[in-house]
Amino acid sequence: MTAALRDRLAGYAFVGPFLLVYAAVLIVPLVMGIVISLHRADLFGRREWIGLDNYAQALGDPVLHQAFGNTVLLAVLIVPPLTVIALLLALALNRPGKFAAVLRGVFFSSLVLSVTIVTLIWRFILTPDAGLIAEGLEAAGRAPIPFLSDPDLVIPAIAVTTLWWSLGFPVMLILAGLQQVPGDIYEAAALDGAGRWTVLRRITLPAIRRTLLLVVMLQTAAQLQLFGQAQLLTGGGPGGASRTIVLYIFEVSFGRWELGYATAIAELLFGMIIALTLLQYWLVTRHEEPRA
Amino acid sequence: MKGARLHPLVVMALLLGAGVMLAPMVWTLLLSFKSNAALMADSGAAFSGPYTLENYAAILKGSLTLQWLANSLIVATGATVGVLVLSSLAGYGFARLEFPFRRTLFVIVLLGLAVPEQAVILPRHQLFAMLGLHNSYPGLILPSLTGSFGVFFMTQYFRAIPKELDEAALLDGASRFTLFWKVLLPLTFPAQATLGVFTFLAAWNDYWWPLISATTSDRFTLTVGLASAQMNYAQTSGLGFLMAQAVFASIPILVVYIAFQKQIVRAMAGTAVR
Amino acid sequence: MSGLELIDVSKSYGATPVLERVSLSVLPREFIAFLGPSGSGKSTLLRIIAGLETADSGEVWLDGERIDTRSPGARGIAMVFQHYALYPHMTVRENMAFGLRNAGVARDEITRRIAQAADILEIAEQLDKKPGQMSGGQRQRVAIGRAIIKQPRLFLLDEPLSNLDAALRGRTRVELAQLRTRVDAALIMVTHDQAEAMTLADRIVILDDCCIQQVGTPAEVYARPANAFVARFVGSPPMAMLPATIAGEEAGRVCVRLAEGTVLATAVPAGELVAGTEVEVGLRPEHVRLAAPGEAGLAAQVELVERLGDRTFLYAKLEGGAEIIALEPGFGTVRPGDAVTLAIDAPCAHVFTASGAAHHPEPRA
Repeated sequence: MTAALRDRLAGYAFVGPFLLVYAAVLIVPLVMGIVISLHRADLFGRREWIGLDNYAQALGDPVLHQAFGNTVLLAVLIVPPLTVIALLLALALNRPGKFAAVLRGVFFSSLVLSVTIVTLIWRFILTPDAGLIAEGLEAAGRAPIPFLSDPDLVIPAIAVTTLWWSLGFPVMLILAGLQQVPGDIYEAAALDGAGRWTVLRRITLPAIRRTLLLVVMLQTAAQLQLFGQAQLLTGGGPGGASRTIVLYIFEVSFGRWELGYATAIAELLFGMIIALTLLQYWLVTRHEEPRA
Repeated sequence: MKGARLHPLVVMALLLGAGVMLAPMVWTLLLSFKSNAALMADSGAAFSGPYTLENYAAILKGSLTLQWLANSLIVATGATVGVLVLSSLAGYGFARLEFPFRRTLFVIVLLGLAVPEQAVILPRHQLFAMLGLHNSYPGLILPSLTGSFGVFFMTQYFRAIPKELDEAALLDGASRFTLFWKVLLPLTFPAQATLGVFTFLAAWNDYWWPLISATTSDRFTLTVGLASAQMNYAQTSGLGFLMAQAVFASIPILVVYIAFQKQIVRAMAGTAVR
Repeated sequence: MSGLELIDVSKSYGATPVLERVSLSVLPREFIAFLGPSGSGKSTLLRIIAGLETADSGEVWLDGERIDTRSPGARGIAMVFQHYALYPHMTVRENMAFGLRNAGVARDEITRRIAQAADILEIAEQLDKKPGQMSGGQRQRVAIGRAIIKQPRLFLLDEPLSNLDAALRGRTRVELAQLRTRVDAALIMVTHDQAEAMTLADRIVILDDCCIQQVGTPAEVYARPANAFVARFVGSPPMAMLPATIAGEEAGRVCVRLAEGTVLATAVPAGELVAGTEVEVGLRPEHVRLAAPGEAGLAAQVELVERLGDRTFLYAKLEGGAEIIALEPGFGTVRPGDAVTLAIDAPCAHVFTASGAAHHPEPRA
């Protein structure tokens, strides 16, 4: 056996195990999904080819339209504020010292909690029946607010819960991005007499624009798939006012057992996420020089 | 601007924000030490004594919580070990070895970063049903092992190690495996720690997949178990008991997080984000 | 045949040739320097000898055995890398032992050799430290120790001094000179620093443009450069090259006419240099000096004065624009902008034809 052949075999031996799992548990289901979405299928193996009927049904489904609206509204209420707050926090906390270190720990802390625990906590914060906020309002002599049963308030309530839960990771990413900015740029800017605001706008933000792009892309994809908070806090209610697309997928597949239709909705969501991600990437990078 | 003093208003805002972050957790902690009966009468009672450990005693006694805890530990540990092994092997292979279709395969792996869970979760549920993998540990662990991020992350990390080290080892007569095992792998420990913590965290907190894959209550992970308890808390257990469960379920993850915080921050600030 | 033998080694990266049919013999225990500008292929040649790169064609022999077919670890070669390439997670002791363990050397033999090497290199105190805890100079010694301990038949050094600051560089140069007395092996050092090559090497191999330009002792490459490239490359400051034409011959030696009109009677044998040929006249700084008052010479304008304390180099321009460098002993009083007259030691001039071929002065019989 020649050395070159042995090297090739070594290559496959090292990457093979991952590729095997990747193919079996990701690529196979990915392809299966496209096939299933073209069938009338249930959870128990019944299959009937119906072409694009599932997709046609989705386009005319008022429940899906409502869920789509809810999901987009949630993403809009979550992603921009989350990015801005995380950026401000990272800028404030990107400094040495105990104070900043402790605060970093505090703002990272919620990210280790699972969605179950987050919703458990927030359900009892938001509930008008002796919840934390209700207690506060009562102390101020005001009536409690039924956040989770008012159709106009339920989406903002879920958004706030999600903001509280999701803040840590973006802060971490942006902090890491800030630490990549070479210090001598700041020194050069100081010598050039740049003020704080100029430094932020002309030096810091351009330097971390790729990190910010990453944060926005990851968060958009994550929030368009918002599921646990809605399912656990409200079950999608009241009257579907907080039903998200993924919650609807869950209901259609495991409540109504219409696997084919649920899969078609999932494929539409997949396409939407990819399109949005590419759009964001293009918007941010189109003016950049191609990187070597 | 790095060393500049913070404006007092900024400090105030930061402290207020920290209060908003911490208040729910403190409140949860207090509730968990209140007896269910006392809370039934007045949930505002959380802010004053008497406090009790009866909720924690109840968890340790009868309920399924301990079984769920064990399940979560097994699944999260299995996922972490699996991801670390697979990503390290693949990362080394992609970063250092020459073989046909290397670039193509790497691009295919990277494309996985763009595939949201929703695109595969239903067909995967079908596939695992055919293979009889539901309600089993492999069934809960396997989906975590498809993550492209680990491979990407480890590949980048291996690439950042100077090639001179490989060459020195080759001249020292090391075989490919010795080179990987004794020289390069030990140098990736910071990356392993970061990747390990995030994998553990993600597997521990995963909800969607165990919700549909583990359907018998003795196979629930803590996340799913707590959700089921939350759904019917009115009938069975009290508020204090629920909150104690929440605190209890967060302890292992907090331990992992605190133990590895230094490595995470260092690795994220250093070679990780390039 | 003992020693290292390179036969017709060629290498290219895609369409870009790096080495073309390079052949070279290195004697046992000889200290060789590969000298050349960056991109000259000197590092590639070293890496081919080490087995870190594969030649497209050609053979490498060491002590009568063909080694280019063997893996790097099985060639009996040790190498000190430019950035040392110490294993950061291993102690100094483990760094040195790693290669011996892979070779299956017995445990107590490893211990003995480490103790010996540590003793010679004065790093015995540092054996349990990790590379990160050591200074650059100490790391360099560990890297040398790691190579010595393998008792190689050939010792390779890749730019060994380029990573050190000026003070340490001088000391390490002395250590490298001592190194050759301690190892029973030939040494090959890659460098782009000619002072290093001149001080340390027995012979210098000058590479450029994929080929060996000259192999010779430091004195040979300095006094009798094989071509215009070597003449320009070796020597600091470099040899000045003045455009000229062959004016005729005088007692078998050529006379050249510089562009600005002066005729110089050189000591270069006429041979096939016929009158009218366009050539370049090469003059080392030590053969150009300030003319004494009243002495004839070339009119020049000083552009830059480099004062080194014991001597001063004057960078000047002749009428017509040719650049010339003169050497003046001591600190000197000439300033940039001054008009000076330069006296030339014409019998020391070299003549290079348009193809780069060198014609050296020869003393009269």
